[in-house]
Amino acid sequence: MDAKKRSTLLTIAAIGVGYVALRNLPALLPETLELEPLDQPAGFRKYVAGETSGGFDPFVGLGTTESADVTAQKAAALKRVSADLCDALYGNLDATASIIPMASFSDYYCPFCRVQTKRLAGMTENMTDQVAVAWHELPLLGDSSNLAAKAALAAKRQGAYVTFHERLMTTPFQASEEYLVRLSDDLGVDSAQLIADMNSAAIARELENSAALARVFAFVGTPALVIGRTVVQGQISDKMIRQIIDLEREEGWDIACRSA
Amino acid sequence: MRERFHIGRWILILTVIWLGGLPGQPASAAESEMFSNPAVTARLISAEDGIAPDAASVSLGLALEFGEGWKGYWRTPGEVGLAPALDWAGSSNLSSVDILWPAPERYEAFGIENFGYANQVALPLRATLETAGEALNLRARVSLLTCSDVCVPHDFALSLALPEGVGIDMGSADIIARFVDRVPLGPEDSDIRISSAAIDDQASALTVTAESTRAFRDVDVFPEFGPLVTFGKPDIRLNQDRTELWAQIPINAWSEEHPAPLITITDTARAVTSPVLLTTEAPAPPYVIAGAQAGLLKLIAVAGIAFLGGLILNVMPCVLPVLSIKLASVLKASGQSRDITRKGFLVSAFGVLTFVWGLAAVLLALQWVGVSIGWGMQFQNPIFVSLMFVVIAVFAANLLGAFEIALPQAVQDRLGAGSAGSGYAADFGTGFLAAVLATPCSAPFLGTAITFALAGTPLDVAVIFTALGLGLALPYLVIAARPEWVYLLPRPGRWMLFVRAGLGCLLLATAIWLLFVLVGVAGALAAAGVFAATAALVLGASVQWPKPMLRRVFLTISFLGAVLSAGLIASPERPDATANAPSHWQAFEVQNIARHVSEGRVVFVDVTADWCLTCKANKSLVLDRSPVLDRLRDGTVIAMQADWTRPDDTISRFLERHNRYGIPFNIVFGPGAPSGIALSEVLTPASVLDGLDAAATRSIASD
Repeated sequence: MDAKKRSTLLTIAAIGVGYVALRNLPALLPETLELEPLDQPAGFRKYVAGETSGGFDPFVGLGTTESADVTAQKAAALKRVSADLCDALYGNLDATASIIPMASFSDYYCPFCRVQTKRLAGMTENMTDQVAVAWHELPLLGDSSNLAAKAALAAKRQGAYVTFHERLMTTPFQASEEYLVRLSDDLGVDSAQLIADMNSAAIARELENSAALARVFAFVGTPALVIGRTVVQGQISDKMIRQIIDLEREEGWDIACRSA
Repeated sequence: MRERFHIGRWILILTVIWLGGLPGQPASAAESEMFSNPAVTARLISAEDGIAPDAASVSLGLALEFGEGWKGYWRTPGEVGLAPALDWAGSSNLSSVDILWPAPERYEAFGIENFGYANQVALPLRATLETAGEALNLRARVSLLTCSDVCVPHDFALSLALPEGVGIDMGSADIIARFVDRVPLGPEDSDIRISSAAIDDQASALTVTAESTRAFRDVDVFPEFGPLVTFGKPDIRLNQDRTELWAQIPINAWSEEHPAPLITITDTARAVTSPVLLTTEAPAPPYVIAGAQAGLLKLIAVAGIAFLGGLILNVMPCVLPVLSIKLASVLKASGQSRDITRKGFLVSAFGVLTFVWGLAAVLLALQWVGVSIGWGMQFQNPIFVSLMFVVIAVFAANLLGAFEIALPQAVQDRLGAGSAGSGYAADFGTGFLAAVLATPCSAPFLGTAITFALAGTPLDVAVIFTALGLGLALPYLVIAARPEWVYLLPRPGRWMLFVRAGLGCLLLATAIWLLFVLVGVAGALAAAGVFAATAALVLGASVQWPKPMLRRVFLTISFLGAVLSAGLIASPERPDATANAPSHWQAFEVQNIARHVSEGRVVFVDVTADWCLTCKANKSLVLDRSPVLDRLRDGTVIAMQADWTRPDDTISRFLERHNRYGIPFNIVFGPGAPSGIALSEVLTPASVLDGLDAAATRSIASD
């Protein structure tokens, strides 16, 4: 091989190595906690994760052709949650300055929501005195997704939200009464109550509220998570969640709520 | 296929129009507006610029380009996820639209199996017109789910008007044709034949068999039983010439209510979708696992690797005890003639090979019986370790001058050739013993070779083990080829006594090591028993006896006592060493690894054993030193230690699942590597840290 050929080959090899390094290096660097304040809603900020943020239209939902009625209901819900965002997010939690509240938004048909629900449940179990989770359902993926969300919220009313999700990991959700009865038996909850709750106005309202919150925070998809006053879209590592929790504790997560 | 029609004919039509359209270049491209965001770019494309007179149908495509890291779904999305849906309300002159689904790919994240597409795909659409030959106005409402580490649904409208006219959009026709090619064929058009599909009584797994005249290359199997039945990852096996396929797919959720099942088999550039009739009789798996395609070339290559592995084994820490034996044999040779030296070393090499062949035979026999097997497993047997201890202790005592070993006259006569006397028997024993002592640990290359051999046929085993033995015996063979090298040593003299004593000490150290192993394998009590009996044996051999008969009886009894006591008084449970000392090492619990990983943690598994010297070297040189030690202790890593000193089925299966049959074995699991990154047999701090980093990196979740 003459010198010219050799140097050409070397150049090509160097370019190849450089390309591989450029593609892989960022993934090898440790994650950093990068936060960006949000204009809307004021006082909140978002966790900037890789390249997935931004560029999406605020989301409406699959297959929804809206009637005037629905539009009005949505506007009402938006007004309702905007009045007190923190209450809408964390309403049922008795969060104090030392317990950091988290609001989880998930959809049954989103693969990574399962993982997130499981992780958050595990985290609250291990850190009872440090964190608390408010479970929201954000059914973006059509009718079955909507039904599963109602069932999850009905199970939540009987203290079985996490078990319900765990159970759904092994068997697919079915939109039949027979299935819901069997499911209730497995979960040890009252099936008549569960079915009644699923069709109740309270759960419809809860879903409207969650959807309105999603609009306020401009979620593009699921899973989504709000930790104190930090908004997280998509999957995030436990380590990052812990770092954000620590930060929220140091800074006092309720400043956003006080200003609202 | 749900909407089955003759794709072959369709391709033909497409090609004809495509060629026919060549002369008249289209004025404008026939495609819709573009919907675009970071996850996906979508547009409707048409192969034809206009509706030709009398045309009853037109070929369209929904062209999707996914952003980096984003995935879309197949018509059956897997456990969760959502198939794309198209609604054509508001279109005019449209009768119906069939979607043709290109063969999907499998994506796995956190144990969730999803089927779909990445990068670029076009879903070919076949639109049937209400009135042939008239203009078509398309309005499509598309709902589509895309996921990366977040799932973003999209709901958008695309419109496309095709006036009356002729002309082909070559770019679009090309894209559509490319993905039509990837649509699985019907059973009658494909050269893949699905021969059976069975579900067992407990509905725990679906077993599929298929055959093809062309060899399978990169196969996957996708069953479709409707939304209520979900499946896990398939175990796919092929026969030797890769024309027959056997696949078993675990059923995660079963329901009697399912539509007529379909099975899709995809291979590199072909695929078939076929309806199946379910039976309950699952065919047994064939012997060979997919991937173990043992061509002659491959066998030779692996034999080369085995030879190299055997050679490297000579310098592994495991072989330390053997060093003294090898040196002793060289020393013994220094006073002999060239010819006798050569023969002696050849016999030693033969001793090495004999042991390796014996090992291969035993392994094959065990495999045949169905016992899970491994390299170095004989050291898990207390009787074997006791026997080794006795032999080494006697050797050491002999070298240290306690007594001379005199073989029975008959044996000497039989083995000794001419004037060389008993030499060859000792040479043979030397080689044999060296090989035995070299086997407790695996070495780089060796693992690959053993894995290949044990997954293959008996012939593979014979070839690979022979190559390995030759590698291990190479030092002997080299001296056999050049006996004059022995004369480079100084002439025999007083110095030899010192070296002899030194070697005796080395062997004594080996004996002590074996005793330590014995404590691990059989318990302290058994080790004490073996030690006492061996001490009696050595003493008995060293003192003068009034009657030879008495001596023989005493020696036999103490020998048997030494060998058998370990087996008789072995304590059943291994004392838990980790319980006493607070340590960052946790017990090995294989079932928890997946859970830890799903929680975002990194798990480092170290499979070790008392008898594995390379494991000890890894431990003291790498694992127990900073920076690796600091990393294992800082709370980000769960360090699990699996102790294989005694037989343990869970550990054997764990090794086998990761294609290893010997230890040391170290593997790292984490969010970045849910199926694990196996490390080399010989660890370095850099290799361990790199592995930990790579496993911890949160990659795009659906990779």
